[in-house]
Amino acid sequence: MCQMCLAALVVACGSTNDSTTSDTISSKSKLTTGCIENYNSQTDYFPKKASVRYAQGFEVEYHKNYKVVTVKNPWQNATNKLQYILVQCGTPIPEKFSKTQVVKVPVNSIVALSSTHLPHLAKLGVVDKLIGVGDTQRVNTPEVVEKVKTGKIVGVGTNSSVNIERLLELNPELVTTFGTGNPQTDSHPKLLEAGLKVAINAEYMENTPLGRSEWLKFTALFFNQEEQAEKIFSNSAKKYEQIAMKAKAVKKRPTVFTGFNFKGTWYTPGCESYLAKYLADAGANLICLDKVTSSLPLSFEDVFNRAEAADYWLNMSQEWKTLKQAISEDNRYTAFTAVKKGNVYNNNLRVNTNGGNDYWESGISNPDIVLSDLIKILHPQILPNHSLVHYQKLS
Amino acid sequence: MRLIKHKQKTSILFLTLLITLTLAFLLDLALGSVSIPLNQVITILLGQQPEKPTWINIILRFRLPKALTAILAGTALGVSGLQMQTLFRNPLAGPFVLGISSGASLGVALVVLAANIINTGIIFQGILGDFSLAIAATLGAAAVLGLVLIVSRRVQDTMTLLILGLLFGYATSALVTILLYFSESQQIQTYLQWTFGSFAGVTWRQMPILAIAVILGLLVAFVQSKPLNVLLVGESYALTLGLNLEKIRFWIITSASILAGVITAFCGPIAFLGVAVPHLCRSLFNTSDHRVLMPAVTIMGAILALIADLLCTIPGNQTVLPLNSVTALIGTPVVTWVILHRYYAR
Repeated sequence: MCQMCLAALVVACGSTNDSTTSDTISSKSKLTTGCIENYNSQTDYFPKKASVRYAQGFEVEYHKNYKVVTVKNPWQNATNKLQYILVQCGTPIPEKFSKTQVVKVPVNSIVALSSTHLPHLAKLGVVDKLIGVGDTQRVNTPEVVEKVKTGKIVGVGTNSSVNIERLLELNPELVTTFGTGNPQTDSHPKLLEAGLKVAINAEYMENTPLGRSEWLKFTALFFNQEEQAEKIFSNSAKKYEQIAMKAKAVKKRPTVFTGFNFKGTWYTPGCESYLAKYLADAGANLICLDKVTSSLPLSFEDVFNRAEAADYWLNMSQEWKTLKQAISEDNRYTAFTAVKKGNVYNNNLRVNTNGGNDYWESGISNPDIVLSDLIKILHPQILPNHSLVHYQKLS
Repeated sequence: MRLIKHKQKTSILFLTLLITLTLAFLLDLALGSVSIPLNQVITILLGQQPEKPTWINIILRFRLPKALTAILAGTALGVSGLQMQTLFRNPLAGPFVLGISSGASLGVALVVLAANIINTGIIFQGILGDFSLAIAATLGAAAVLGLVLIVSRRVQDTMTLLILGLLFGYATSALVTILLYFSESQQIQTYLQWTFGSFAGVTWRQMPILAIAVILGLLVAFVQSKPLNVLLVGESYALTLGLNLEKIRFWIITSASILAGVITAFCGPIAFLGVAVPHLCRSLFNTSDHRVLMPAVTIMGAILALIADLLCTIPGNQTVLPLNSVTALIGTPVVTWVILHRYYAR
């Protein structure tokens, strides 16, 4: 399958009509400051460089007028890496890369098919370049919501049901999306075939909260906003590590379980997942599956056996806003100690009217806030002044 | 003489089936993803204190309702499958041949998937809680059933009815596909999870409703076993006997639909059991007499469902398999065998 992807990639890039693309960019270049007028092969066009510290999934290699960005693990069990050549606008495309995906940077228009990319744009101050999103109704990022209201952002459909024609009509310089490795639901092979530039953001493959949020730098590469990204990210990472340090010192680490039962099946996270890392950093022990990064379906009785005496229950069905809802779905939940004690918290405090949950949007970009929430729940004495942002107590 | 022998054989078979059923039931209680020693299981069943108090909950609130649901579901699907196979004189007919599961799927899809389009889901879940899916599925199944019954009064030919049932099914699944297309991945996941089928979703609170509906459906089915025998000979023969064919057909379809509909509502669309069980019984008892087949299918369906449930949780492995994949893996060899057997018997 991935060989097919690469083939599609190669074909798409080989067949894109470079002359027309550069024409449109150069005509725009008179309006924006992004393009170089007089190319000098000795100049380093990227004086501010990104350095990746936590994310395992991508790396960047700087050259004088272009950067080589590699997405190492675009999806589960991917056999190929993806490579993007980000060439400074107004400078020549390096010849040896003619067959890989070339994107001229900084890009002037972008369509983000995943809502997790929107906070990046807001943080980097480039929401004005955003012309389309997957689903306008589920957006939480305030800057984007504003722009949606004025009708300047078009909804083009989410990953599996992207409206290609509408996307082609928008003709963005870059589309950011994610891949699952399943050709039936992935949109990027089709988009590439249509001649669009598609960047696969694989943040969800990261196993640490900071690794996930560091993909801000990935987005920044396409806008030459490395400096801004470095500043914002290291600030957030510093905060995260400071509060994690405080939680590390706690004497008693409560036990936590997550998820919920649906018809006897209970998805349980792996101990190598980002969620396990979050709870470890919040001074708790998560009930999880050894040596597993994703979630696996367990039976309800199995989870009950593991978690009956656990202290806290977190992250359950997005629909639940009260404990009564949970119990009316299945009254066996009342047998959990956490339920008896009332230690039940759900990560759905900020959900917009159409069901878009900000936990999966700004939460991924601001791990320090999510961690603060968790510590506030599990060890309130550490952060007396923090009030919950994404979590709410179910009572 | 041969008749007596045959009767003896039948009684022995029934006895064996009943013993197997008891064993399968106990095995389903004893084995699960959490390993509980057999003597502890018995201790709990006898109402005494086990070594670990968690085990009481696991046996009494998780495994017992699951095993009972499996028995009810297997029985109901087997019997309605048998009724449909005889009514349509088609060996591949099953409980869902009239589009009942598609109707139920549409009901569930409306609740789970269309929540953000028409807000049905929120209203439904708000009022009904755990019954929301079951009621939506029942309404969907009942709507299709109603259509089929109306048509069955006008169309005398059962073959036409069968084709119409299939067409209803196509139309409803087309609507489900449209809903799926416009849904978020989390909702799609919930819907898919429902289509996987499961006996584990029924709690004690829901059990009475499920049990009463199944028992009612079975009662009607058993009363209709004799007319089914007549149908087997042919509709024209039944007419010459002065039987009210229309009435018989109405009751058979009603009971089969209640049985299939209620199981689909609580457990999801469970594949193959309904098709495979009647065939197994026909070849095992070597008869087509519904007075024998009806009870045989009742027990055999329960046994197969319990075995399927057992296989969903592989001992020593912590994850669970979707029920529908297991029933299909058991069911396909049976149906394959039936087709080949018929082919070679010609």
